Amino acid sequence: MSLLNAALRRLFDLLLYPFQSLPAAVGLTVVSLLAAIGMLWAFKKTSNQAGIEAAKRRIYAGVFEIRLFNDSFRQIWRAQAAILRANLTYLRHQLKPMLFILPPLVLAVAQLQFQYAYAPPAAGSRTVLEATLAPGWESGGVETSPSGKPRAELVLPAGLVAETPALWIPSERTLTWRLRVEQPGDQTIAVRIGGRLYEKSLDGARPLERRSPVRPGRSWLDQLVYPAEPPLPADGALERVSVDLAPAEVALPGWTVREMVGVPAWMTVFFLLSILFAFALRKRFGVTF
Amino acid sequence: MPFVSSTETPRREWRLPLLGLLLALAAATPAEAYVGPGAGIALLSSVGVLLVTLLLAFLSILAWPFRALWRLLTGKKTAAPWARRFISVGLDGQDPRLTERLMAEGKLPNLKKLAEQGCYHRIRTTYPSMTPVAWSSYSTGVNPGKHNIFDFLDRDRKTYLPVLSSAEIGNVDRFLRLGRWKIPLAKPEIRLLRKSRPFWSILGDYRIWSTVLRMPITFPPDRFYGAELSAMSVPDLLGSQGTFLLFTTRRSDAKFKEGGQRVELAGGPDRFETSLRGPENIFRVGDPPLEIPMTIELDRAAGRARVRIDGEEHLLEPRQLTGWVALEFKAAPTVKVRGITRMMVTELGEHFSLYLSPINLDPESPAMPISHPSYYSTYMAKKVGPYSTLGLAEDTWALNEKVTDDATFLRQSYDIDAERQEMFFAALEKLDRGSLVCVFDGTDRIQHMFWRYLEEGHPAGAGRESTAHRDAIEQVYRHNDALVGKVMAKLRREDVLVVVSDHGFTSFRRGVNLNAWLLANGYLALKPGCDGSNEWLRDVDWSRTRAYAQGLTGIFLNLAGREGEGIVQPGAEAQALRKELIGKLSGLRDEERREVGIHQVYDAHQVYDGPYLVNAPDLIVGYNHGYRVSWDCATGVVAGPLFEDNVKAWSGDHCVDPNLVPGVFFCNHAIDKQDPSLLDIAPTVLRLFGIEAPAHMDGKPLFEKPPATLNAGPARAGGRESRAA
Repeated sequence: MSLLNAALRRLFDLLLYPFQSLPAAVGLTVVSLLAAIGMLWAFKKTSNQAGIEAAKRRIYAGVFEIRLFNDSFRQIWRAQAAILRANLTYLRHQLKPMLFILPPLVLAVAQLQFQYAYAPPAAGSRTVLEATLAPGWESGGVETSPSGKPRAELVLPAGLVAETPALWIPSERTLTWRLRVEQPGDQTIAVRIGGRLYEKSLDGARPLERRSPVRPGRSWLDQLVYPAEPPLPADGALERVSVDLAPAEVALPGWTVREMVGVPAWMTVFFLLSILFAFALRKRFGVTF
Repeated sequence: MPFVSSTETPRREWRLPLLGLLLALAAATPAEAYVGPGAGIALLSSVGVLLVTLLLAFLSILAWPFRALWRLLTGKKTAAPWARRFISVGLDGQDPRLTERLMAEGKLPNLKKLAEQGCYHRIRTTYPSMTPVAWSSYSTGVNPGKHNIFDFLDRDRKTYLPVLSSAEIGNVDRFLRLGRWKIPLAKPEIRLLRKSRPFWSILGDYRIWSTVLRMPITFPPDRFYGAELSAMSVPDLLGSQGTFLLFTTRRSDAKFKEGGQRVELAGGPDRFETSLRGPENIFRVGDPPLEIPMTIELDRAAGRARVRIDGEEHLLEPRQLTGWVALEFKAAPTVKVRGITRMMVTELGEHFSLYLSPINLDPESPAMPISHPSYYSTYMAKKVGPYSTLGLAEDTWALNEKVTDDATFLRQSYDIDAERQEMFFAALEKLDRGSLVCVFDGTDRIQHMFWRYLEEGHPAGAGRESTAHRDAIEQVYRHNDALVGKVMAKLRREDVLVVVSDHGFTSFRRGVNLNAWLLANGYLALKPGCDGSNEWLRDVDWSRTRAYAQGLTGIFLNLAGREGEGIVQPGAEAQALRKELIGKLSGLRDEERREVGIHQVYDAHQVYDGPYLVNAPDLIVGYNHGYRVSWDCATGVVAGPLFEDNVKAWSGDHCVDPNLVPGVFFCNHAIDKQDPSLLDIAPTVLRLFGIEAPAHMDGKPLFEKPPATLNAGPARAGGRESRAA
């Protein structure tokens, strides 16, 4: 997973490099177009086009029947049942191509999430740094204070200031600091614990840049979800390090898209644009959905 | 079964790991919010469809009591109906002599069973025994003098040029000009010229549903309580009654005489850039034809052609007819004219030729009104897939011109029949109460083109390709019998099934050029210097012409006050001339063959009555078996012999004396009237549903009382379906 993520990080950094200094909407438009093209190609190769076409025809026929035989209860219900059956068939036909399309798409989305989902920390803004210790840390040679709090040292770059000492929450195994950003830039925060240094990046030099709220541990799922930074060492005292990042907005002409019900703004834009592109290009690809 | 599992296993191997991976991915936070464009569309449209259809169903059910109340208050009342469903299977041109012979030989078991269960009769056809005339009388219950259809063609009274008898398609003359573009400010008016009311329209007054599928002379469609899909007279996309296209490398100045266009392919030898010409673009000044670029690449080694039309690629092998190919002509931004065609490479050797069937209006999005309600053709296309919409759907002209072959024609005909059967059974399944009428044309078309196989010594026998199609006509009769069997299996206790043909069939060995006879006998004169070889009577000197033949059976007097340059005075002079012509032409002999060519000539005033008698030909020529109007005469050529051999594939016909070619009539109940006529069907249907036939109808109901076999009493007017007996 680490190797795959490393490769994907390089690929997406390269792909999005031309758009780093442009508004997010530009890069997202290109990415949505590429996603739509990829999806159409895969959909064409893996779907039962004739089956989808037939199911759609039956659905349309059912709709016409409801209108045509609107004096007959019996025909209306029969048409409704036929539509339901055709709809289920339609969904069944969609399943197979989705099985092929979703895995690469999710990997790509996971990468894009860390390019577009978070705003760069602004000067004067605050963030919370949280270091989660690995289960069984006590036996890992981590020194503790008499109260049982692990001894940890925060190593901050010049543009960041710790406003609080570390707050220890034993039940969650977390050490928490509040930080203030004095000078945004591509910065690396380090936590020294148990004699080792654990780093977490906090990049803010450019508007479009890979930034992740979490540096994951070695868990497969964590790495899949947070691929933007290499995982923490497996034998270390820390399980993950995270910072609070503000959600980014995407400015479209006449519409600033913000995070809605937990869905990042970029994803809304990506979803809409990729659907639009897929619709617009479906005939050229000879695809019906 | 081990083979099955061994082949299936590898295909399914991917499923489990992939499913696992998908589930794992679905747990990822970003994936929770994002399902991708494809899945998004699938989900959105599925949910959308369900919501819309539920809403539609809800609204329909909500409105139902109001509609029912409205019907109760405003609807006409019927007497107790005798039947719940009337189902009519029209077999165009099914001949009684052939039917009776094949039934006797045990080759039509279902029809025989139907006859034994109910009845079988020969049925009288109309004057003339021609599809548009006969089915119009079937529909309306009146003679042609009341429904105004006398032939396939009529004539323009001023110019004497032929016009379609059944529909008039107007032009748009008001446009908004915007540079090279012009926006039509009105729709072209399309008028059905058939008069009187078909029985389904009268049933509709009583809120009795009818579905009418491909009944001739229903273009534009009738508006009534029910659904109708137009047939005969529906043009192709070029506006003609069927123009096939032949793209060919063969050089020829000759034009196809019947319904075809030749397009010479330039360039080559293995790649050709050309275009497919469609209808005129009325959105552009000058009305240039709409075109779709077409590229043809020949792979001679593989023996196939790659044809690219409108971005779609088709790999064609010689003599393999494609399915329907959709064509989209772009007339203006957002305005597209859609058609469908079938293609076939007819030669791929030294020369290359590609046949395209007439471009039918796309039923999903027709450029003209071909159904009622307007979305019915779309509904049927969704239900059964694309289907032919052209009035005369089977491409007889291409076979006549030897562009296609017998096997291709049969394939076309049976494919069209299969489309029709699908539509018919889809409609039958939806019919709870009311009538369903459908006409199957295959019998007519196949008999027209394959009679030469049936008859030894037929002049067109030389055109027989092999003995493979010797039984083509018998096969289509058996095919019809199987269809009837399928229908019978779906009958319910209160159903009336009628299997009927509009006329019979006979041989067409010799053509008669009536205009040549009229010229030879001094009734028709030519302009000085003309030899009569120009089509559409262009060589005729009307100032010296008293009578002329036009259409397939009609002779018109050049009547003063009616025709543009008429010279025969109405009244006594006209009557005397009619009598004189009848006397001379009835029994006209073909001395070369020592046979009678014309059996009987009928005076229109004797066989018709009604307000449209004035539009009828003055005389109806009833040819003998084996004779018909010649190809030249039918196209208005005066020159040539009086009698000549017919050597075309079109070797059988029915445009003869109607008394020689009655139709067939089967019913699943015995009828009370002997010697039934096509005119009797409409009043019969009305009576079955408790409606008295209007006084103007000429036909009489075939049932005097409810048939004893029909549920022994009145059918229930509503409620649940009765079970099949």
